Amino acid sequence: MRHLILHIATWLLSRLANAGDRESLAGDLTEEHAALANSTSPSAAFKWQLRQVCASIAPLVWSRLTRTAWISTLGVALAAYIAVGVVEFTANWAIVRSLAAGTGTYTPLELIITVPAVALIAYFAARLRRGAAGVLGVMMLPVVTAMMLSGAEHMALWYRIVYFVVGPAAAFAGGALRRAVERKALASFPHP
Amino acid sequence: MKGSEDGLGSLEHIVLLAVMRLGSEAYGMMVRREIERATTRDVSIGAVYATLTRLESKGFINSFQGEPTAERGGRAKRYFRMTAEGKGALRSAHDIILKMSAGLKGLQST
Repeated sequence: MRHLILHIATWLLSRLANAGDRESLAGDLTEEHAALANSTSPSAAFKWQLRQVCASIAPLVWSRLTRTAWISTLGVALAAYIAVGVVEFTANWAIVRSLAAGTGTYTPLELIITVPAVALIAYFAARLRRGAAGVLGVMMLPVVTAMMLSGAEHMALWYRIVYFVVGPAAAFAGGALRRAVERKALASFPHP
Repeated sequence: MKGSEDGLGSLEHIVLLAVMRLGSEAYGMMVRREIERATTRDVSIGAVYATLTRLESKGFINSFQGEPTAERGGRAKRYFRMTAEGKGALRSAHDIILKMSAGLKGLQST
């Protein structure tokens, strides 16, 4: 029974490792287990290997996540999306508080605040991960569409069209701005 | 301390030193044993492999496959060897420690 548990645990752990490291990782555990079983006891060796398997899960998962570039890009884009949400919510809240009741929340003022903020957030996201601004723009499209459809009765048509086009476009513009700044910086770098 | 793109994190530093100490005998479990022996620090084999992978991607070590053996269930060892870049990274990390600790009292172990 112990043998089966160790076999399954080690196999599962080796799946988390790099493809090139799987065989050697499982072999290392088997080798050390055999050495410990001889020098101490099979029970101590069993506990040791199980402890090693449990302690190895987190570093191997983390290593796998950080090695995969698209996950980092998606993470940065998601963080940027949350930042956009916070800006939008704050702008909306400030407008509702400052304007007279009944004016409505969807005003050009909100667009004036939100759109440059989206571009700025996308710019900084692209600084962290090059493709994050593009992913942010793509992420915004379905959400903006759903928002437009669900809140359509409260919004003027012009607002819906502008918001739908300008919102995601601002994210792409932020990414384009970052690329332009990068190109300029590279061009000004003295060549040997 | 996290490792930057070119620098060394604390575990990376220790693993690289272990690879250097072990020379031609540096493979995953031996690296783990060496760290445990020298530092009395309990490091998991997963953490060692994750660090070795990171060091390899930075070009500080390279690896090659050994022969499969019976005591390993017919599985091969993966040996690691330090590169010139790895040696350079270790040297510069060592220089930084020496410079930062120069003249400081109370750092010698008793």
